[in-house]
Amino acid sequence: MSDRIAETVSKARLCLFIACVWCFFSLAYSLAFDGTSAVAERINFTNDVQPIFKARCVECHGATRQRGNLRLDIVAGIRKGGISGSIINLKNPLDSHLVLHVKGAANFERMPPKGDALTTSEIEKLSEWIRQGAVLPVETENIKNIIANQGGWSFIPLKLPVPPLQSNNSMAWVRNPIDLFILEKLRKNGLNPAPEADKRILARRIFIDLTGLPPTPYELLEFLNDAAPNAYEKLVDRLLASTRYGERWARHWLDVAHYADSHGQDQDRFRPNAWPYRDYLIRSFNEDKPYSRFISEQIAGDVLYPGDPDALVATGFLAAGPWDESGLRDINENSVDRQIARNLDRDDIVTSTMTTFTGLTVHCARCHDHKFDPITQVDYYALQAVFAGVDKAQRAYDPDPVVAKKRLSLQSDLQMVRALKGKVDPILLSAQNQRHVADFEKDWRAGSTSWFVLKPEMVVSKSGSTLVILPDNSVVANGVAPEKDIYSVTVSTPRTGATGIRLEVLTDEKLPFKGPGRAVNGNLHLSELKVTIHPRGKPEKSIPLKLKSATADFNQAGWSIDRAIDGDVQTAWGIHPEEGKSHQAVFGFENPIGFDEGTVLHVELDQSHGRMHLIGRFRLSMTTALSLNDAGKVIPPNISLIMETPLARQTDVQRAEISQWLWENRILKELATMPPQSMVYCGTNQYAADGSFRPALTPRPINILARGEISKPGALAAPGAVLAVPGLKADFQIKDPNDEGLRRVALADWLSNPANMLTWRVIVNRIWHYHFGKGIVDTPNDFGKMGGIPSHPELLDWLASDFVNSGGSLKNLHRLIVTSSTYRQSVKHEPVAFAKDSDNRLLWRMNRGRMDAETLRDSVLLASARLDDSMYGPPVRHFIMKPGIHVTPEADYDRYDVDAPEARRRSVYRYIFRTRPDPLLEALDCPDASQSAPARSVSVSAPQALVLWNNKFVLRHAGHLADLAVSFDTPLQRVRFVTQQLLCRLPTPAEEATWLEYSTKHGLANFCRVLLNSSEFLFID
Amino acid sequence: MAWQTFAGCCLTVANSFSLISGEIAIYSDRRDFLALGFSGLALSELLARVDSDKRDPSFDGGLHHKAKVRRVIQIFLNGGMSQMDTFDFKPQLEKRHGQTVDVGLKATATGTPGPLMKSPFKWRQAGKSGRWVTDVFPHIAGYVDDMAFLMAMQSKSNVHGPASYLQNTGFLMPGFPSAGSWISYALGRLTDDLPAFIVMPDMRGLPYNGMGNFSAGFLPISHQGTPVNPSSPAPIPDLQPSAGIKFISSAATMDGLKLLGEMNQKFADERLGDSRLQARVESYELAARMQLAAPEVFDLARETAFIHESYGTSRPGADGSFSRNCLLARRFVERGVRFVQVWSGAGGPKNNWDNHSNIPTELPPIARQVDQPVAALLMDLKARGLFADTLVVFTTEFGRMPFTQSGVGRDHNGGTFVTWLAGAGIKAGVSYGESDEFSHLAMANKTTCYDLYATILHLMGIDHEKLSVRHNGIDRRLTDVHGEVIKPILA
Repeated sequence: MSDRIAETVSKARLCLFIACVWCFFSLAYSLAFDGTSAVAERINFTNDVQPIFKARCVECHGATRQRGNLRLDIVAGIRKGGISGSIINLKNPLDSHLVLHVKGAANFERMPPKGDALTTSEIEKLSEWIRQGAVLPVETENIKNIIANQGGWSFIPLKLPVPPLQSNNSMAWVRNPIDLFILEKLRKNGLNPAPEADKRILARRIFIDLTGLPPTPYELLEFLNDAAPNAYEKLVDRLLASTRYGERWARHWLDVAHYADSHGQDQDRFRPNAWPYRDYLIRSFNEDKPYSRFISEQIAGDVLYPGDPDALVATGFLAAGPWDESGLRDINENSVDRQIARNLDRDDIVTSTMTTFTGLTVHCARCHDHKFDPITQVDYYALQAVFAGVDKAQRAYDPDPVVAKKRLSLQSDLQMVRALKGKVDPILLSAQNQRHVADFEKDWRAGSTSWFVLKPEMVVSKSGSTLVILPDNSVVANGVAPEKDIYSVTVSTPRTGATGIRLEVLTDEKLPFKGPGRAVNGNLHLSELKVTIHPRGKPEKSIPLKLKSATADFNQAGWSIDRAIDGDVQTAWGIHPEEGKSHQAVFGFENPIGFDEGTVLHVELDQSHGRMHLIGRFRLSMTTALSLNDAGKVIPPNISLIMETPLARQTDVQRAEISQWLWENRILKELATMPPQSMVYCGTNQYAADGSFRPALTPRPINILARGEISKPGALAAPGAVLAVPGLKADFQIKDPNDEGLRRVALADWLSNPANMLTWRVIVNRIWHYHFGKGIVDTPNDFGKMGGIPSHPELLDWLASDFVNSGGSLKNLHRLIVTSSTYRQSVKHEPVAFAKDSDNRLLWRMNRGRMDAETLRDSVLLASARLDDSMYGPPVRHFIMKPGIHVTPEADYDRYDVDAPEARRRSVYRYIFRTRPDPLLEALDCPDASQSAPARSVSVSAPQALVLWNNKFVLRHAGHLADLAVSFDTPLQRVRFVTQQLLCRLPTPAEEATWLEYSTKHGLANFCRVLLNSSEFLFID
Repeated sequence: MAWQTFAGCCLTVANSFSLISGEIAIYSDRRDFLALGFSGLALSELLARVDSDKRDPSFDGGLHHKAKVRRVIQIFLNGGMSQMDTFDFKPQLEKRHGQTVDVGLKATATGTPGPLMKSPFKWRQAGKSGRWVTDVFPHIAGYVDDMAFLMAMQSKSNVHGPASYLQNTGFLMPGFPSAGSWISYALGRLTDDLPAFIVMPDMRGLPYNGMGNFSAGFLPISHQGTPVNPSSPAPIPDLQPSAGIKFISSAATMDGLKLLGEMNQKFADERLGDSRLQARVESYELAARMQLAAPEVFDLARETAFIHESYGTSRPGADGSFSRNCLLARRFVERGVRFVQVWSGAGGPKNNWDNHSNIPTELPPIARQVDQPVAALLMDLKARGLFADTLVVFTTEFGRMPFTQSGVGRDHNGGTFVTWLAGAGIKAGVSYGESDEFSHLAMANKTTCYDLYATILHLMGIDHEKLSVRHNGIDRRLTDVHGEVIKPILA
């Protein structure tokens, strides 16, 4: 046994050594790389420039005051500049604000404002310094400065500490380097670790910790019977390999990302496609995705890994937080409130990104420089600029990577072909392309390609709608909308052989929700469509036309298009909920029609449903295509015009135009045959505009706002990150500033950089926090000066270094932590140790945990053998959804059937409704996803007791568990069974007596109710 | 190590503090508690206060100074009450009705400003103080001499969601504790029988932001507002076992609670040093008391016919429901609930104070809902002597524009609005602040939600700058980084 440990430790030490060397090199490398040293004959900042700043500038631009947001006492400040941007212009040194100010040039306040101006030689020195490249001292000095003056311990670059060796006696306890660090501190404080927890306790602890579910009696027994010395390690490996691990740890991540399935705020609408991000997290944890990749994907996966659907879905992180539909979509676009809403929405993304990955509270710098940490307002708005191009919106994507690649290539083709428009490019006149043109002409002459728009000759409304014919031959309905109406349209055509007629219902800005209908929601109902025809000039020969088929691009459920030709005015075609988009319906004739003298058609659109379910705008076309499915798009007028000329007599310009149009159509047609795309709610500019909520084509300009107020814009912010983080480039050099994706890529690189000491410290601390109930830093979202002080700074750095050096495997990190002796301690109370360290920061024992809300619910399902462990998919509602007064629906949790099949899924799949939270989960401190929740609180209160004691879910499952026990013969066996299911143990003889008495008197279900409320069930030793 | 001793000591304080004030949440994150301790009081002061509570069960309250108010009833008019159609009389608006004026405003929140529109309602001066009130509030007008008006309240937002958050929590964004939660957190309960913070939404539905307006934010969940629905068979959720569970009987429940108590007590006894376990035992005892006490509160049959008549409880629909809620509010504060919020109007475009399209037809019905019951509430509180330590606040999320929208409606206006307070510690019959000639923007002595809550906290014995909790790196307060006590309205 001790050999094994010795071996483990020596292996660990070897790793340490290697890691140490690696770390040293990487640090040395980064210093050498970033440092810029001054050359002797050049102006030297420290000797020549700094003294001027110190004597004349820092009083107002220093540590105590930062007039104009400018600091000249630190390198970071000089680089960054002030409220009006950089003070240095390397291209035109004499145009540098620094020079202009000290000279007192026109429109520049002379600096310093008080006392004498700088001497000519001082000004010359400053100008020359800039001319030579404004070289600043090496980064090391900067680091020292930061540590001494501003940033706290968390800004010190990571180095791998050597785990403190312990005496031989103590080494027996040590299983891995974690234990060395823990033991060192315990010893220094005269404390000892607690004995190892009982195997049964350990099993319950590790099961819940890694998978969010306790062991079943069978799983427990299996472990207890495994006498192998590494039985526990084997169990850990098994649990880490279980898919339940991903569900458990994704749920933790969702807390931090403040994910929900609804928008929150006052219009708390359902987000039907947020869940792919939740599934992405579950997959990523289960696949043990390297952490740096995990970060990059969530910030800019769509740009970094095009064609990888998972990486695109990952950007759901950016959109996980609340969204103010009213402020960002509905209110007046030109109002100041719209700008405030945008600012706050970006703030949510910046805050979430920076607290999640770096534990920096950059949001404190929205209104002023951070009071405690080295984060300036310029830094903060630089981060807003990173996200200036994205909104929280639904983006289409292909879940199948093959389809995704195909679509990507078609789209790039399309872009290319569109660029050819109006050009006489040789490729358009290539033999192959000209063959397409020739084929087209053949079809054209045969008149079989397309829909021909019919020009309305007369339109009549039966009930007084004002019908107006527009230049594109569509008809729009204006004026007061009657309840019901019948439109009659007269059209004519010289063609014969017509096979069908098409009705397009079109959107229009003037219609409610852009129509195409006139009902308050933009819907319409076409009760019947009837056509009569007669030869031109012979109205007496009018005959009704028999319609054989009807198809539409969209049918409202229960309102399909065939109901418009069924002869019943009670039934109709509708388009809800696809309002706001144009639609079309195609009606096939039984036989081709057309008189030689020309044909006049009367089309009657009967809309007798009522409540203004009328067509708002429509257009009619006809085709001679034999198969209506082949009928192509309407041919644009420029093409028709060219086709008046026979192909042979067309010019190259004309043939190129047709060729380009055909090519574009071929690609579009191919795109149209691709499988329909899925949607994900994410941070993007690739989305369909919804009213005045429109994607930014180029990143929106971001101003540095004085006091965070929209009414006080300062200089424009350039994309970047926090300057004070040493060793990293905070000013992003973006090749194309209009490409918002590149901005996010730059931030993804900055965050996932191995040299970003914050990133790695923060993640290992989060993992530690979830295992122990408290982090080494007890404020997992705040690694600033106002955050917690690490209880074991060397251990934190060791874990972080080891984690980054070994490739960022979270599963390895879990394994290391949970197999340590530290983790395996019992929770045993020790009065002496308690007197010294009541908070157990030194970990002289394990912390007792309490099941979180989801674990409790899932455990109840598991214990009553009702857990459905199918994974993934749209969220499951644990409430009845009813229409609300306005946008937000009402959620009735009371009347929901908690026994419904879908309610048996794990809680991670539930529908999280921000402003209508689940009372059961809420009572157990489940956060409402308004803001990041890095740690769940553990409250104990009377309302919580009431919920656990009386809630329907708990009571029903007490009943189910009791029902399950009937397969046992005796009442005692039944009591034993339910105890094992819930407490992972058998009752003691004394308990058996009392519990049997109670359950005999009141029934087993009531006893289950008691057990479900017991502290022993709720708490985890 | 000094900090360890200190931390240990503080744990003790946290527990006794919690239990004495009837609050049994155990702060898992002791920082929550420490933040209060550090920024508020020296530890010794805190101890002394806890001790004095023990000696004096009447609890005069106050964390930082003596309290004048022990409980608050807040009436919240959801949607934005039109100030120039109720309390803010502007002769210029009467005179220049129909004129188009340029105040530099191109766009309002949901439209464009039309011409000036005077109130379609009759103005009259009420009480000795001569406050102007329109005839939409005939009953309330009778009590203007008890009120202190804030005539120039301002909001940072013209949008319902953020503005409602602002007026309830001091922040435009979701996730911050509401005023009732802060007060519950700071002062604890006056009674063990009922929650400290109770909310009665309009019977037609929750306000904008749903439960977000009563959220405890990052404070322990036990400080969250408990929404009650008096018209439901279960006015407080899960107070009684869910209906239709056959195996439940009162004997099984009674014996079960006894058995559970023994089990949990044994579990706690075997695991010393974890105060949560003992707290769990007590939580079930408290829950049982709450179960017994709560139904009595809702039993309005105990009130006299005169009281029912005064409040108008027999009025049909939402009006009667609001009347009953006002009566219940009195019953709640009478029994020691600290903060009662009564909502008029639900979220959405109709049946609330968001009168975009037609002031003449939309405002009177919603005003009628609150007019009689609110007046009755003031009368009732006075008659029972509750006015001596109860504060009534009548407020909304923003005001409305003096210009028309869609003919005879008015758009949102955070520029100025009216709030009034009455009751303990309030100088009766005064007004503070003034809006401009059209009631478009606050002009003199502007006040904000920060000032309002600084004042309410002040009256409850709390220095608003000292009541703070560290959250994600910032010491958060109900009043953000602003707020001044509005002394001119204090008695």
